[in-house]
Amino acid sequence: MIRVDNITKTFPGAERHAVDRVTFNVNEGNICVFAGPSGCGKTTILRMINRLIEPDEGEIFINGENARTMNPATLRRTIGYVIQQIGLLPHRTIEQNVAIVPGLLKWPRDKTRKRVLELLEMVGLDPGEVGRKYPHQLSGGQMQRVGVARAMAADPPIMLMDEPFGAVDPIVRVRLQDEFLHLQQAFKKTICFVTHDINEAIKMGDYLVILNAGRIIQMGTPIEVLTSPADAFVRDLLGDDRGVKILDLTRSGSLMEPANALPESPGRNGCTVQAVQPVKIALEMMMKKNADQVGVCEGETIVGILTWNGIKEHINRVSGDGS
Amino acid sequence: MDIFMDSLLRRAPGYLPEHLQLVIIPMAIAILISLPAGIIVTRPGYRRYAEKVMALFNTAQTIPPLAVIAIFFPFLGLGYGPAILALTIYALLPIARNTIAAISSVPEDVKEAARGMGMTPKEVLFHVELPLSVPVIMAGIKTSAVLTVSTAVLAALVGGKGMGAVIFAGINFFRPELILAGTIYIGMMAVILERLISLAEYMLVPAHIK
Ligand SMILES: Nc1ncnc2c1ncn2[C@@H]1O[C@H](COP(=O)(O)OP(=O)(O)O)[C@@H](O)[C@H]1O
Ligand SMILES: [Mg+2]
Repeated sequence: MIRVDNITKTFPGAERHAVDRVTFNVNEGNICVFAGPSGCGKTTILRMINRLIEPDEGEIFINGENARTMNPATLRRTIGYVIQQIGLLPHRTIEQNVAIVPGLLKWPRDKTRKRVLELLEMVGLDPGEVGRKYPHQLSGGQMQRVGVARAMAADPPIMLMDEPFGAVDPIVRVRLQDEFLHLQQAFKKTICFVTHDINEAIKMGDYLVILNAGRIIQMGTPIEVLTSPADAFVRDLLGDDRGVKILDLTRSGSLMEPANALPESPGRNGCTVQAVQPVKIALEMMMKKNADQVGVCEGETIVGILTWNGIKEHINRVSGDGS
Repeated sequence: MDIFMDSLLRRAPGYLPEHLQLVIIPMAIAILISLPAGIIVTRPGYRRYAEKVMALFNTAQTIPPLAVIAIFFPFLGLGYGPAILALTIYALLPIARNTIAAISSVPEDVKEAARGMGMTPKEVLFHVELPLSVPVIMAGIKTSAVLTVSTAVLAALVGGKGMGAVIFAGINFFRPELILAGTIYIGMMAVILERLISLAEYMLVPAHIK
């Protein structure tokens, strides 16, 4: 859906490339997360995709079509863009802000209005309460919701989201992340998502692109990156709790031993988890019940058993050096 | 008292239309020049000149109005035309200065979002930059109008007529009632113009600032 081929960008007067020979693909319906420290070129990559900046070298293809050959304004109207600083127009009401792209696309009034109300509700805002307000009358969390609603207004198949939940406190951030993932299940947009928060990256990403100083250091699914970090930089970025993060991404079903292989009743102590739930949940159950194993269920049926030793072995196996 | 009332009600009012001309014509020309000029110097390609233009305008504004007329006297001589020209130049400054300052201070993130949503440069100008600049531009026009009303008094010195003729006649012939009458009209004109522009501003300014 998005193919970025060896792009490089150097800003005038800069000592090093802001983006250095970067190549990646984003598949349709996926969230591709760009993670890395501040200044590593994440925003610059997004801005090259919608042609707010032109790469010095390399090509970008959107649905197989070279972005260079498209009209920039037309291209941008088909790509939802949530900027880091939100950037709501201060002289327009919330409804008017959300209606900007439909307006540029000359949608009929009724259609736009219906869409705006639907969007505000979709992002968890009460249109009656906030619709007529101006941006400065909203809280940070509300503004970020409006930013997302505005980017989704014309139902663009592609979205670029630059630290979209960056300006709110951690509690609100987690809620916005959960709500957005929920929406994404329904809409299956193709998304480039930028964050400097590795936990957000792991949570939101179908695919991770880890950057440093303009270069791609590692790419892969979150579990791939977590289990085999390319170098010390990625290991540092992932943090000391890499093992626990892995357990958060591993389904209990994948580590269990099938129930019929065990002599004793697996469901004893009454602690069971669903096979689709992360191992982290199973661990929590074990600690609560002071047990060293839990039964794993699919619906009501017990299908296996997950043991403390099994989990330990798994962590040692995947994190290699035992850290 | 009678002579004062006579000056106020019979002699001075005749000079009002002339004086208004000396205000409205320079103001109109000044707006027509400085708005587009302010817009041009704030376009990306010319932005590096904006600071220099601003510095020039700031310096020019510190020259006293009489000096502006004096500077142009050798080239243009005396009369109505030179007075209009000098007043126009003086009226230009606050408007151009405020236009440049206003447009340059539109937050970068707001413009970035507007461009990112697919607004063309023209749409960004008309839907974002100008609406957000209205209050400061209008303040410039107000300053300029009030300034021009009083500066236009000096036009009489170069033969440009207006209320200045009444005031300077009063000074020359020791007739304080003429000075007073002329000054009252100048004051009234300044206040009324200021109110009128404020009204226009109220209708133009985006609601969130009201
Ligand atoms: N418009 C610009 N002009 C000059 N340098 C820029 C510009 N935008 C970004 N940079 C530089 O490019 C590098 C990458 O910036 P950016 O993409 O914003 O990083 P990130 O979003 O990862 O924090 C930084 O060194 C930054 O200073
Ligand atoms: Mg950034």
